[in-house]
Amino acid sequence: MAERYLALLDRILTPILFVLAIIFLIVGHNEPGGGFIAGLVVATAFLMQILARGDDFVRKLIGVYLQPTMGVGLVIAIFSAVLSLPEGAFLLGTWWKISLPGAGVLEIGSPTLFDIGVFLVVSAFVTSYLLELSRPARGNRR
Amino acid sequence: MLITLLALLAVSAPTLWLLKPQRWRHAGWLAALPPLVVTAWLLTQLGPVGQGAVIREQYVWSEAFGLALDLRLDGLSLFFGLIVAGIGAAIAVYAGYYFEKKTTLGYFYALLFLFMTSMLGLVWADNLLALFVFWEGTSITSYLLISFKLSDPKALEGARRALIVTGMGALAMLGGFVLLGQIGGSYTISALLALPPDTFTSHALFAPMLILILLGAFTKSAQFPFHFWLPGAMSAPTPASAYLHSATMVKAGVYLLARLHPAFAESSLWFWTLLVVGGVTMLMGALIALRQVDLKAILAYATVSQLGVLVMLLAFNSQTAALALVLGILAHALYKGPLFLIAGIIDHATGTRDIRRLAGLAKAMPLLAAGALLAGLSMAGLIPTFGFLAKETLLEVFFHWMESGDPLGLVGLIASALAGALFVAYSLVLIWEPFFRRAAPQKQAAVQHPPSALFVLPVLLLAGVGTAIPFLLGIVEQGLFAAPASAVLGAPVTLHLALWHGWTPVFLTSLLAIGLGLLVFWLRQPVQAAFAQAPDKLSGTGIFDDLMDNLYGFAGSTTRIVLGAPLSAQVGVTLLAAAGFLFYSVFSHNFMSDLGVDWSALPTFYEVVLAVLAVLAALVTVKARSRLSAIISLGMVGAAVMLIYVFFSAPDLALTQFLIEVLTLVLLVLVFYRIPPQEVQPIPKRISFRHLLISLIVASWGFGMALLAAQRPLFASISDYFSLNVLAAHGGNIVNVILVDFRAMDTLGEISVMVVAALGGYALLRASRLRPVQDPTQPSDPAQSKKPASKPAGGKHG
Repeated sequence: MAERYLALLDRILTPILFVLAIIFLIVGHNEPGGGFIAGLVVATAFLMQILARGDDFVRKLIGVYLQPTMGVGLVIAIFSAVLSLPEGAFLLGTWWKISLPGAGVLEIGSPTLFDIGVFLVVSAFVTSYLLELSRPARGNRR
Repeated sequence: MLITLLALLAVSAPTLWLLKPQRWRHAGWLAALPPLVVTAWLLTQLGPVGQGAVIREQYVWSEAFGLALDLRLDGLSLFFGLIVAGIGAAIAVYAGYYFEKKTTLGYFYALLFLFMTSMLGLVWADNLLALFVFWEGTSITSYLLISFKLSDPKALEGARRALIVTGMGALAMLGGFVLLGQIGGSYTISALLALPPDTFTSHALFAPMLILILLGAFTKSAQFPFHFWLPGAMSAPTPASAYLHSATMVKAGVYLLARLHPAFAESSLWFWTLLVVGGVTMLMGALIALRQVDLKAILAYATVSQLGVLVMLLAFNSQTAALALVLGILAHALYKGPLFLIAGIIDHATGTRDIRRLAGLAKAMPLLAAGALLAGLSMAGLIPTFGFLAKETLLEVFFHWMESGDPLGLVGLIASALAGALFVAYSLVLIWEPFFRRAAPQKQAAVQHPPSALFVLPVLLLAGVGTAIPFLLGIVEQGLFAAPASAVLGAPVTLHLALWHGWTPVFLTSLLAIGLGLLVFWLRQPVQAAFAQAPDKLSGTGIFDDLMDNLYGFAGSTTRIVLGAPLSAQVGVTLLAAAGFLFYSVFSHNFMSDLGVDWSALPTFYEVVLAVLAVLAALVTVKARSRLSAIISLGMVGAAVMLIYVFFSAPDLALTQFLIEVLTLVLLVLVFYRIPPQEVQPIPKRISFRHLLISLIVASWGFGMALLAAQRPLFASISDYFSLNVLAAHGGNIVNVILVDFRAMDTLGEISVMVVAALGGYALLRASRLRPVQDPTQPSDPAQSKKPASKPAGGKHG
């Protein structure tokens, strides 16, 4: 019974959570938020799905991507650290200003990229643990 | 240029894998291109470097930490670079035919090129730490190559053994490097070598430093008593054995010792350790090789013996010894490499490497026999081969020692001549038995699959280069031999190399050794029979395996002790330990006067409400009768803490706290949902009292810590720096700027740990599911409990 209400809630909340995560990720450098928090929000969204639709559903949906996502996140973070090597420094913040006509100046820096890497690692890490722990135990355990 | 060449090889690794080289019959020639480019460039440098030029490149990658990738090409680095790249090209061609369209060819090339990159980096690095990283790179690629055939348990065991032995050695070596860096004040190798040698030899920490570094070199170069991993590494595909475990990687230890030779060679500890260890390894390897029947095993033990010779030569601090070392390295690479490749082709053609089943192969494979003859005679050291030149110089070293009046010189001479005689004996065995004798003693293997001429070509090329060098001495000796020998010696070396020196005592000794070798070859059957009787104690594998078993047993019993207690006891011990260590330092302060806490300030209304809420929720958690209500009231404690963060304007902290609370709460519910509902048993008074006591101690300690942290900064605070610079870092959210910019290195470390933890945790959770179902009536062993979260309060009051 409860699952039916959860499924309804899930329909409404999951998209909101994903959008929220992206907002946290984008504004994170200036407002509350950031890659770590955004990653946790995504994990919460998947937790919602696990509760509403069962862990098998989510596992089929994203299970195989989780570990590659962690790897990709780590690679992105390391890549952002290497960007400043021409200046003779590792992990030095490097910023580029892109002026968008009519919309002001967009500042993109290696920390943004680094944050995206953190986001991917954290979201995939927490989600993979959620999935593993919510897998039904073998029948005959206590 | 050096970095470009390294990058070329590193990029070739994945590229060749993705190209699926198994689709083309002659893919090996394509794969040989990158190492050929490296070889060609190095050859152009022979002239200038031979004249004493040195190429240096520096790439600073972290100025703040003083870290840079220093590359340096001098005579010795060029010499090793040529061996690595030149033989690498031949191996790449050979592997293309050896794997013969097997799908694993691409993977092999990827590993081979990663190894090549690491090995070249190792010999070109001018920084101890960079050298260490490349060193480990060769260990890891070697591990993956030995365990190439994943279905073979023996290969996996050999690979693990090799990795553990060389890995432990490398760790010791890293410690030695740190000591060396501390003593010399620099991690740059060329800067260290420029210091006067007694900076090191007269330092109080010289002996520990030297022993640690020697451990690394000896394990890598398979010296006694660490030699046993090398024969076990023969499960690798033959091209890898020829390349890593004979021509290049196992010489990394020799390279390191040669590199550091100018700084350490004057110490007597260096002299005696290298002399004894090298000498024992030389004789032992040569003797054990006699009892082997597998072609690759014979070659492996012969390699161990030759590595012993090289280490022994490094003990001496003379021009002849440096020259003998250089000649020995190149001669060995140019005869042992082809011999391994020949063993691989024989295996490929007949399906066996057992020498007792091989005979008369010369008829079916004349080209291969020619290659075996060229390489084998060089290994035997017969005039006029390259091997002869190397052996003459080796014997000359001991003659010089003897002439100086030390009777030990004679012992060394006899030992080397004996090893030389054994080399002659099994060189002849390797040429005669598979290729020329009429019939094999056991069921003879037929040639089902004769190799194409192109398959044999790399063998002939390598053996041909080895044959040609003694006749081209005038052209190559300055760049190829004098320059590396000068680097080893730390002083310019003048050469007088020639094949024929007349009837010198050295030549006569050499003849004597050959005669003795012929005798051993003639009597090989009784000798081998006698050896086969001897117990297999010398191998060292058994001792190592026993040690490892004991280590695993120790880890198991420790785990059972630590994890055997119920969870509540574990948590209690952990918290008490944390509180206990810091209790005194916290409560040695007088909170009333020392810290200047304003006790009269009234808390705000919200603070009181939230604190009361948190305390009430905590009380409910403790008194809860069902698990569900305990979890939910625990969540309320978290929520109250989160609100406190909000009121103290820490939105990021509050958000994180909130999300973590939600996730753990739902997880706990999920986990308890699986466990049959059960009334929480009331906890016995005694245990309850104990828990209360622990809680009070921990809580008062935490309270004291909080007060202390808030009132008296122990260090000058860095937060001012952060808040001043946060705008310069293009960010408004200081927490995030700290995470991804100011302290990004920490974050990078954290997310790396997360990924490793995720993989490990995943494997653990998986493994427990794959384990056979336990009998539910048996209490499960706590050390193997399925997952910690599923039995949080197991044991006393679960």
